[in-house]
Amino acid sequence: MNLSRIMKQLMLCCLGLLASSALFALQVSDDRGMTLDLPSPAKRVVSLLPSLSEMVCALHACDRLVGVDRNSNFPLTLKNVTSLGSGLDPNIEAIVVLKPDVVVMSHAHRAVERLNSLGVKVLVLEPKTHADVERVLQSLATLLGVEGAQKLWRSIDAEINDSANSMPLKSKGARVYFEVNRGPYAASESSFIGEILSRLGTKNIIPASLGPFPLVNPEFIVKANPEVIFITAQEASTLSSRPGWGRINAIQNKHVCVIANHEEDIIARPGPRMGQAAAILAHCLLIHGRFE
Amino acid sequence: MLLLLTLCLVVLYWGVSVGSAGFVNIGSMPNEPGLAAIVFDIRLPRTLGALCCGALLGLSGALAQGLFRNPLADPYLLGSASGATLGVAAALVAFRVSPSAGHWLARLGLTGAAFIGAMVAVLLTLALARGFQHTFRLLLCGIVVGVVLGALCSLTLLLDPQVLQSMQTFMLGSTSYVGWNSVIMMAIGWLVCIVIAVPLGRLLDGLSLGESTAISLGLNIGFLRAVLVCVLALAVGLSVAQTGLIAFVGLASPHLVRSMVKVTHAHLLLISSVMGAALLGAADVLARCLLAPRELPVGVLTAVLGGGYLLWLMQKRQFSSTGGES
Amino acid sequence: MNSICTQDLAVVLGHKEVLRHINIQIKKGMWTSIVGPNGSGKTTLLKVLAGLQACKGAVTFPGFDTQHPSRLQKAQYLAWMGQEQAGGDELSVYDVAMLGRIPHRSWLSAPSQKDHQAVKKALQMTHAWDCRYRRLGELSGGERQRVLLARVLAVESEIVLMDEPLSHLDPPHQVDWLHLVKQLVAEHKTVVSVLHEVSMALLSDEILVMDQGQIRHQGLVSDRLTHQAIERVFGNRIQIQHVAQRWVALPLI
Repeated sequence: MNLSRIMKQLMLCCLGLLASSALFALQVSDDRGMTLDLPSPAKRVVSLLPSLSEMVCALHACDRLVGVDRNSNFPLTLKNVTSLGSGLDPNIEAIVVLKPDVVVMSHAHRAVERLNSLGVKVLVLEPKTHADVERVLQSLATLLGVEGAQKLWRSIDAEINDSANSMPLKSKGARVYFEVNRGPYAASESSFIGEILSRLGTKNIIPASLGPFPLVNPEFIVKANPEVIFITAQEASTLSSRPGWGRINAIQNKHVCVIANHEEDIIARPGPRMGQAAAILAHCLLIHGRFE
Repeated sequence: MLLLLTLCLVVLYWGVSVGSAGFVNIGSMPNEPGLAAIVFDIRLPRTLGALCCGALLGLSGALAQGLFRNPLADPYLLGSASGATLGVAAALVAFRVSPSAGHWLARLGLTGAAFIGAMVAVLLTLALARGFQHTFRLLLCGIVVGVVLGALCSLTLLLDPQVLQSMQTFMLGSTSYVGWNSVIMMAIGWLVCIVIAVPLGRLLDGLSLGESTAISLGLNIGFLRAVLVCVLALAVGLSVAQTGLIAFVGLASPHLVRSMVKVTHAHLLLISSVMGAALLGAADVLARCLLAPRELPVGVLTAVLGGGYLLWLMQKRQFSSTGGES
Repeated sequence: MNSICTQDLAVVLGHKEVLRHINIQIKKGMWTSIVGPNGSGKTTLLKVLAGLQACKGAVTFPGFDTQHPSRLQKAQYLAWMGQEQAGGDELSVYDVAMLGRIPHRSWLSAPSQKDHQAVKKALQMTHAWDCRYRRLGELSGGERQRVLLARVLAVESEIVLMDEPLSHLDPPHQVDWLHLVKQLVAEHKTVVSVLHEVSMALLSDEILVMDQGQIRHQGLVSDRLTHQAIERVFGNRIQIQHVAQRWVALPLI
């Protein structure tokens, strides 16, 4: 009868769907817009970006990391994991030998293509903003088949909020300048560092329209006259010798926040330690926050 | 006549350079006179620095091409570029690796490190070539030293990849932090180099007909060549230390001058300096105002400007030579 | 009176003995030509006389005042022009000729009136005055050679050494060169030229015949022995005949 034939077809369709979903239990999409299909959560993971390594460990899956890049140095247990060279130019052979289920890395076209052609699955994830971090945590959680991405993100967010709340009202809108590197390369409002600084209630002299890490004309900085300058330890000594910078408010009143070597990693990585980064920045702002 | 024309060009560019602002295209001075003083603390030395550095590079380019009788020679051919880069890389990495070294280096500064690096590289080249006698050997040794030091630099950077971004500013050239001290140093350096090199210009002229002819004309080529190599090293060292590696200015300036006038080396050295100053000054201004308030690395613009102009000149010459007499 | 004397000259280049037992006296105020087959060491000998090639043995200049002349004095006294000189293409013809005045100019000064006169005279003698503002690189082979000759003449030296001065020159200009040399000799200057063109060499006063690094004969052009020496070193493939009051070398077919 017609009805029974339709029922049979429906049953077949359902069975087909069930079968296909059983075959590919996981689907994760990455920053290239490509979707990765995995039969089961990844048990052997190679990470070639320090922030991704930190995220994996924060999701309590540190033991699944079988290989990391040279710069993944936190948590300290990663020292015992096989090092695979630089994140942009990793040792392909060593990766293949480890037989990972998936490799998570940032954009490096040649390495990705090579790994793909050798049958290694690659997930390209490049967290650049806070929103990215939240999304990437979710992707990693899906990939690893663990829960807790949301919880982790909320706790990071909460840490940042705590730091923000610890800032006094009068510091709202204080002009800050964050120098990433000699150049001067600055962190603008649209960078992840800039986002933290904004949430701490400060005003970045570098607007978002210039891109996340622009190379700026030093004259612009002098004209903008920031009240606090964030800078690395090695550049701090050169600040006063820069022509024209002696007039900057921050330098005259000595409101220069020097980021120590060990703090650089924390601040420079958009990852689970952003809460700590916010704390470091807030702490310095409080000390130098004798704003009029 | 053409000499004066080039000089005028330079003065014009100078005026324009000082006029154009960091992030406002035409400096509107009437408002905020206090601010005007600030920007001249930065803008004026920066522009003058670009001019001085360009002059040094133009001079060294003409010297290099005359000494080695090779129209493709550039000022960095004795390995000074790689030496300076290695010096800067070593300084940056050393600071991060051991803060005690940092105090030393803070006194020396990156400019000092770059200068020493350049000098050491040239000395190494001279030692390898065992003196100033054979230009071909000098050239080869310069290439070898350049490549080897470049590899050492890459190795150093492996120790601490964080400094890669700082290195990039150096390797693409920048006048960001050129202050009055730098300007004065470069200006004096240029004067010294010019005063020594211009009278020796006839050595380069004599050499252009061959070493034997030069010797038969009574020129002490061994000694004079040594002096000129020292001047070359000094000029390049100074410019690299203050503004980093700026490509093309040294290579292109003598060619640009020659395409406009026929001159002996004594005049070429001078005019090439002026041309180099104009080239770098223009590039620096463009670098600052094209994407204001962002900056482009100066080296990119010198390549575009210098290379573009040379290509245009070559096209012109090709048309005139195919159309006219040979 | 002798202008240049050599004593037991020998030159070794690499492992090869290029010149052996050279004992010659070149007379002042005369035009001496050096002829010989390829590889006989003519260019090397000329370079040694000019002081551009290290050698064993001695080269002396009896006509010269001082015993040990300085580099500059020597350059003012002796001018040398080499074979096939490349380079200098960017300079103007006038500037190339002015290079010849380097031994006479002091370091810091611009060219003097005397320098300009010497250059003008030299360029006019070689008929290169008209193209004095053109670049050397734009000239044809013959024009270029005449400019290089002018450079040598501009030195106004007592001794002029020229290696293959007639290369690229067409017959009319070869004749011009002959007149030039005659004029120099008339001014009591010593001219030594290495020539490939034997017939041209037979127009000089004296001939040095070379073969395999040694002097086979030195003698006057009119001397029968000289002719025989020349014919011998060229494997008797040429014959020297008297034609129209001159000696010419004719190929033996």
